[in-house]
Amino acid sequence: MKIALGAVVPAAILLAWHFASRGSAVVPSIGSVVNVLIHPFRDPPDLDATPLADGALASILRVACGFSLAALTAVPIGLLVGRCRAAMEMLSPTMAAAMVISPIAWIPVAIIIFGLTSPATALYGEEAWRHGLLDQLRFAIVAVIWMGAFFPIALNTAAGAAAVREAHIEAARMLGAGRRQVLSKVVLPSAGPAIMTGLRVGGGIAWRVIIAAEIFPGTRGGLGYMITTAHEQASYEYAFASIIVIGAIGLTLDGLLRLGAVRVGRWQPKER
Amino acid sequence: MIRFEHVSKCFVTPARGSVWAVRDLDLACVGGEFTCVLGPSGCGKTTLLRVAAGLAAPTQGRVFVNGNAVAGVPENVGMVSQEGALLPWRKVLENVALGLEIAGLRAPQRKARALAAIRRVGLPAEVARSLPHELSGGMRQRVALARALCAAPRVLLMDEPFASVDEPTRHHLQAELLELWAADRQTILFVTHSIEEAVFLADRIVVMTFGRTVAEIAVDLPRPRDRFSEAFVGLLLAVRRAFADPRDHELDLDLA
Repeated sequence: MKIALGAVVPAAILLAWHFASRGSAVVPSIGSVVNVLIHPFRDPPDLDATPLADGALASILRVACGFSLAALTAVPIGLLVGRCRAAMEMLSPTMAAAMVISPIAWIPVAIIIFGLTSPATALYGEEAWRHGLLDQLRFAIVAVIWMGAFFPIALNTAAGAAAVREAHIEAARMLGAGRRQVLSKVVLPSAGPAIMTGLRVGGGIAWRVIIAAEIFPGTRGGLGYMITTAHEQASYEYAFASIIVIGAIGLTLDGLLRLGAVRVGRWQPKER
Repeated sequence: MIRFEHVSKCFVTPARGSVWAVRDLDLACVGGEFTCVLGPSGCGKTTLLRVAAGLAAPTQGRVFVNGNAVAGVPENVGMVSQEGALLPWRKVLENVALGLEIAGLRAPQRKARALAAIRRVGLPAEVARSLPHELSGGMRQRVALARALCAAPRVLLMDEPFASVDEPTRHHLQAELLELWAADRQTILFVTHSIEEAVFLADRIVVMTFGRTVAEIAVDLPRPRDRFSEAFVGLLLAVRRAFADPRDHELDLDLA
């Protein structure tokens, strides 16, 4: 029953799509989009873009780098803000303000700071273009993803760390715990569910931001790039296929992070 | 084993300014003694315990535990709070073994000692795999006691540990605590607002009001104590007379 209800809206969309595509030069048929999806490694014949699978891999790599960097920096800073009053007073207004700025707004700033540099330009200089994926991992794009994911992770971590019960910290101290042990055995596990919420929100934003960030000059691959190029070159079946892949990957990412959140927070009592 | 020398503790609050929770208090608990600090809410008894535990520094005076001046959390001291303060993400076994884990003991030794402590406080071994929220209030307090006893402390500080459980369970827990204490003979400083609990448990009762000790009463009744005996009830009434004060102490704390 639950599955049947959940299938109603997608079925309606497919039906509307089917009718909209009949005789249309703009809306591709469902069959043409499925054809792109079942041949993800095939070079698009009429499109200046890499195969769909390569595009997805490029987007995933960019998000993985930006999101990992965000998690690695935001969790320690969030813990500091949550547990240290001076750090909280110093950083929380800036973080709250930065949180409401769309990460996409940082694209010009990122371009000014990082230009067209990538790990490949740092390692191979003018030969960078030969190293496809590494060259496509532009620092500016990674920085924009980092900006998108950093603040929700940091703010959630800070909220979780601030909410750690003093009685738990004192109990650990009475058992001989020093600062590090209080952090590892009390603060981190206690703030775990809040950190996971931050990671879920941050992961979602990172994945949404990548599509906009791939309009960045010099980008040659990625799902966002494929949508833009497909639109410019009127190969709409690739744009539609990219949108479906974006949704599928986003859903998988959220599912994985939700599983992590359930695992970290399974000690929390559930009301029935 | 525990000695308070002219200890005062002042808190500064935005609403009430400086509040003296403990004022020029002298108290000594000898080794192996069971001392109950009895007083109404807000009289400073929890603060006194926190100062002895090194969780709060005295504004004036000094505290000695096991002969050493307290500066930070002292060694060989265990504490059980009113709510138990079990870590909710850790199973009972992991909670009980926390002190051993912090001390760096290997997992098999930790497990054996923690299981022994769980059994000692009258809990079945199966409880070891439960999370704290899956237990009753009385069981949680037993786990908190097992955690404190697991490290074999010479001094045990207990802050109204049985206040949140029902009366029959409280009586069970009191009797079990006395059995454990009879075997180990730690120095126990036990804070309570229940006169009956203090008379049942203590070798000596220290009555506190307004941050000061107002009476010290030796309890010479033989153990196990009968709550309905004439001597018990007589002592209960004597303590009640020393304790009686109709005013609300919490609201009447002096503003310095």
